[in-house]
Parts: sequence; C-alpha cells; structure tokens
Amino acid sequence: MSADHGHGHGHSLDPTVTEPDPHVPQAPSGRAVRIGIGGPVGSGKTALVAALARTLGSRLRLGVVTNDIYTTEDADFLRRAGVLTPDRIEAVQTGCCPHTAIRDDITANLDAVELLEERFGDLDLVLVESGGDNLTAVFSRGLIDRQIFVVDVAGGDKVPRKGGPGVTTADLLVINKVDLAPYVGADLEVMTSDAHRMRGELPVIAQSLVTDPAASDVTEWVLAQLAAVRVPAA
Amino acid sequence: MLARARIVVERRGARTVVRELRSQPPLTLLPQRGAVASRSPAATVHMLSSATTPLGGDDVGLEVVVGPGAHLVLTGVAATLALPGQGTSGPSRLVVRLTVGDGAAVQYLPEPTVVTRRADHRGELHAELGAGARLRCREVLVAGRTAEPSGRYLGLTRVVDTATGRPLLVQEQELGDPTLHASGAHLAGRRVLGTEVLVWGEDPPTGLAGEWWSLSPLAGRGSLATAVGTDAVTAGRGLAHAIAGHPGWAATTLTSAAP
Amino acid sequence: MASLAALTLADARFPGGGHVHSGGVEEAAARGLITGVPDLGSFLSGRLRTTGLVGAAFAAAAVVAAARPDAGWAVLDGELDARTPAAAQRDASRAQGRAALRAARLSWPSPVLDALCAVTPRPHHALLVGAVVGIDGGSPAEAARCLAYLAVSGPASAAVRLLGLDPLAVNAAIVALRPALDAVVAQAAQAAALSPDRLPAPGAPVLDLMAQAHVHHHREQVRLFVS
Repeated sequence: MSADHGHGHGHSLDPTVTEPDPHVPQAPSGRAVRIGIGGPVGSGKTALVAALARTLGSRLRLGVVTNDIYTTEDADFLRRAGVLTPDRIEAVQTGCCPHTAIRDDITANLDAVELLEERFGDLDLVLVESGGDNLTAVFSRGLIDRQIFVVDVAGGDKVPRKGGPGVTTADLLVINKVDLAPYVGADLEVMTSDAHRMRGELPVIAQSLVTDPAASDVTEWVLAQLAAVRVPAA
Repeated sequence: MLARARIVVERRGARTVVRELRSQPPLTLLPQRGAVASRSPAATVHMLSSATTPLGGDDVGLEVVVGPGAHLVLTGVAATLALPGQGTSGPSRLVVRLTVGDGAAVQYLPEPTVVTRRADHRGELHAELGAGARLRCREVLVAGRTAEPSGRYLGLTRVVDTATGRPLLVQEQELGDPTLHASGAHLAGRRVLGTEVLVWGEDPPTGLAGEWWSLSPLAGRGSLATAVGTDAVTAGRGLAHAIAGHPGWAATTLTSAAP
Repeated sequence: MASLAALTLADARFPGGGHVHSGGVEEAAARGLITGVPDLGSFLSGRLRTTGLVGAAFAAAAVVAAARPDAGWAVLDGELDARTPAAAQRDASRAQGRAALRAARLSWPSPVLDALCAVTPRPHHALLVGAVVGIDGGSPAEAARCLAYLAVSGPASAAVRLLGLDPLAVNAAIVALRPALDAVVAQAAQAAALSPDRLPAPGAPVLDLMAQAHVHHHREQVRLFVS
C-alpha cells in the first residue's frame, strides 16, 4: 500500500504559518456549485430551499438533493411548490443517520449530486438539504462548497449562544422566522449579537419568509458565492 | 433404483410431436392424447411416479430435448413424497436436464415435493436455452408433512442462455435445518417454499411484491417468482399472483398451455 | 499477516455508503419478524448462511482473480448477478460497490480496480471488496471474512437504529455467530479457486421477497434505508 495517500487536506498546526485556507475550496470547473443547507428540525430548511428555487429557478440551472426521514414529504413539498420539475429533485435515504450522510460518509449524497449532474449535463447550482439534526451537524467539505445553517427564533433565543459547529463555522447563519419572535418571547437582538459574537467575521442573516417570500438576502448571498466559487482555479 | 427417462419433442408444421419417449421406473411419462391434445400447438406429457419414490438411494434422471420452435408442457400428476431409504442407502437424487432449442418453449410443472422426516433428497434442474427460447419452471417444496419435521433437501437450479453463454439464474435451496427455516431471512417459519422461473418474453421493468410473494426481473432475461406459505395452497396462490404480473406470460396466446 | 484493507472495509466508519443499507432489517422489522435481539440473531444467522455465503465466496474468488493477468471480472459479475435474483438486492449490492469504489480508488489505486470498472462502473460490493483485499496483499479468507462480517454487522447496526435495541446485546449476538461465520469463511475460501460457475448459490427466499417489497413500500411510505 502506498505510504502517503489521501492527506491532501493536511495543514500545519503552527499558527504563524500562512497558507491559503484549506477549507475554501473552489468548484472544479464544469461542475455545479454545491451549497449545503443544514440546521435543526423545523427551522425552515425546506421552506428556504423552496424560496431559493422559486427565486433562482428561472435564472439558474438548479438541482436539489433532499435527505432523510422526511425525504418523500420534502420532495413532495418542493414539487407541489411547482418551482422545480420532479426530475430536478433527488431524495437520499440516510439510514437514520442524517449527520453521517452529510459528514462522515457522504457517498449517497455524492451519488445523488452526480446523478443530477449526469441527468442535466451542466447545472449551475445544486442545493443539498440535510435532514433535520442537532447543532453539531455540519456538511463535509468533500460534499459541498458552501453551507448555510438555519436556526429559527422559535427554537429558543439561546441557540446561537450555545454555538456548536453549525452555528460557529457555517458560511452563512440564517436566523429564520423572525416574524414569530414576539409570539415566542425570543429576543432577536440577543440572538443576532450572540451569533455575530460566536461567528466573528462570518455573515448572519435574519429573515422571515412570511414578510419576504423571495428570501432576498439569502438569494443575494448565494449569487455572490456562485461568483466567488466559480473563479477559475489559478 | 437407477432410472434414466428421456423425452424428445420437435415441431412439425404448427404442432409439436413427441419423437422419443423413454420411461423407466420409477418415472413414467404419459403423453396426453385425444381431442384437446390435437388442438393444442403444444405437446403435453404427464409425469407419473410408478413406484414409491424417491427413496433414499434412488437416482433418477430426466432428459428433455425440445427442438427448435417446439412447445412442451410437462406436468406432475401428484405430489412427490421424498422418503428415507433403508440403512446406508445415501440420498435420493433427481436430476432434470432441459435443452430448449431456438424459439422453443418448455413448461416444467411438477407437483409439490414433500420432504418427509429423515428423507435426504437432492434435486437438480439444468436448463439450457437457445436464442429466443422460453422457459417456465415451477418448484414447490414442502418441509415435512403436517406436524412433521422436515427431512433434508438440497436443490440446485441453473438456467443458462446458450446464445450468450450467460447464466440467467443459479440458485440453491436448502431445507431441513429448523434454525434456518425459522430465520426471517430464509423461510420466516413458513413450511412451504415456491419458486417459478419465467423466461417468457417481456419481463417487468421493476419487481412486484405482495406480502409473501414477489416477482423480480433477473439481470439477464427472465424473472423469478418467489412465494412462501404455511401450506402449499397459499404458496401456490402467491406464485399465481406473481406470474399474473409478468407481462410476457400475461401476453401469451398459448392460453391452452396454462394449466 | 492481516490485511489492513480487510479491516478498513469492515469498519463501520469506512465511508463506503454502507450505513444507508439495512440488508432487509427495515422491512423485517416493519413486518414484525424482528422485534428483539433473539429474532435479530436468528435473522442474521440465516442471512449469513445464504446471502453472506454468496458474498463471501465471490469476495474470496475476487482475491484470486485480482492476482491473475486476466481477472475475468465479467464472468464473476455475471455469475453473481445470476445468484442475486432480486433486482433490489442487485441494486443494493452495486450501489454499495460503487460507493466503496470512490474511497477505494483514493486509498488503493491499482490497475486491478481499473479493470474491474471497465467491466462495470457499478461493481458488486463483494467483487470490489475482494479486489481491494487482493490489491492489498490479503488472502481469500480475509476477504471472505470481511464480507461475511459485513453481511451481519450492517443489518445489526440498522436494527439498533430502527428498534432501539441494546447495542451491547446486539454486539453479543453478532459475536455469538462466530461458529457460523467461521464455517462460511472456510467454505468461501475453499470455493475461491473453483470455476465461477461452481461457486455457492444458497437462496434466501424471504430476504429476496422482502427486498422487492421494501422498494415497493418506498413509493407509498417513508423508508429510512435504501435496502
């Protein structure tokens, strides 16, 4: 067996060494940019995917992969939303382990993404929606180029403060359902400031799909990522 | 008892005629005659056990050659009881070889085989199919008579497409180990196993399934129906459900050939 | 000498897509055929002696094939297809083979894998495992043990997830299969050098019909596993 293989992602533990962030991959030219959408159960991941599909579906060649127990319902929801034809949605079974399927063993999702790419030739964007999971569930960088973590005000305003890899490392944190804040006694300002404190420079968007069904801010962010990720490799 | 039986049929005009028929005890072959037979494009031959068989030590071979374009239906008349022999007689054995010519068809439909207590029976079915040949083979195995533990049975089915050299189905079945029968992977405690191979025109694009039966397309051509049941009637009904969903079989115009 | 490949491939953490397959446990549990550890042990024992033996024998044969200049992958692929009458089982086997191939190509790059993929881009899991163990210098018995173990460990893990069974008791149930596992490995290793048409082909009728039913149910209700 080869003595040295598969260590392409190794990076120095010496903080004084400067090198490009190994975790900012660029999509190999010719394939779609892949954006993962994760977050706890009920935070509004599927609604966000539907909003993005509605807003971007006519401008971009789009595919969607859904994961997990609600697979069938999620896919049906998206189909009913009428924004994507059923053949643009691939459902993945995760064997009761939604986090495994997006992080530890991403093969089923890779297969689904590649199936969409084979079916449509040249997609611009594939959204991979994870099954609802806990705050530690993040996507593997081997599966996606960027990831959005969705939490909502009804899940408790302490969530951003609790941190966890989803909140602290996702490329975008979305605080969803802000229209509900007064009804569930959530302090939106605390949530937003906690989120910024936990995330440093990484962006946070607070939104409500009730008041903004087009998810304008997230759409804008997605388009900016597409442009950034698609910069041809030097 | 050592026996070698042989049937050769060939097509003459629109009909199939029996050209050679050799029975040897304990296996007697009886061609169907009369008005019904003369109207059917297929030849029908009944298989009769002329002695108590198979007993331990019996070695029975049946060779069937179906010439190009001919159609043979081989049916059993009564259930077979596999029985133990005396002393150190060794297992009983039934080996069936079907050679099916180009465009020919054979239906091999024996009645259930009941593997009685202390029996030790081996069954082999080899089918070689020419180009466009059709095959229907049914096997119903009963693990012991009612309230009787099963004897031992080992069976092998091998179906090969001679035009491509490709094996279509290779499957062994084992009866006689209660631990295995009880397993939810094997018989799930059922006593009867039915399988039916259909290489008969169009296969279903995906499988079909009921509660205790299924029909699945094979990788090459052909399909396999599988059913289990607490009795032979239930398993037989499962098989009937399964093959009713086979598009090639359903479309067959040879309705008279279906028993 | 123990093959690191055999160990890696048998590891539940191997990123080869195994965790999305229940090997019939999801359907069996839905039918009430598996409700606790004793039923599971019986299910696994039957699975091991049927599907497990077929997989183990073909994995062992693949080790032998991998060492030959002309491996004859097409013949092995065809013989294994013929021993897997349920279309859903063939799909599951090839899905796992393709998934494991992704990881294998990075870890054990070899012309042997290229030759296997030239025959089919979706190789049967057993053949992929045997090829990799062969590339790694492992023996037919090691590949057979890997496959036989996976034939029970994956479904056992699915049962823990689906039914909330005690993982310690389930582990003990797997270990209790040791004599059956050893027998399967011995039989598979012995068969490895046979002509492919002589390899074992034990049927698993209820497993086959449940595999088809599982696919059927996918269209009507939620299923958490691919197979």
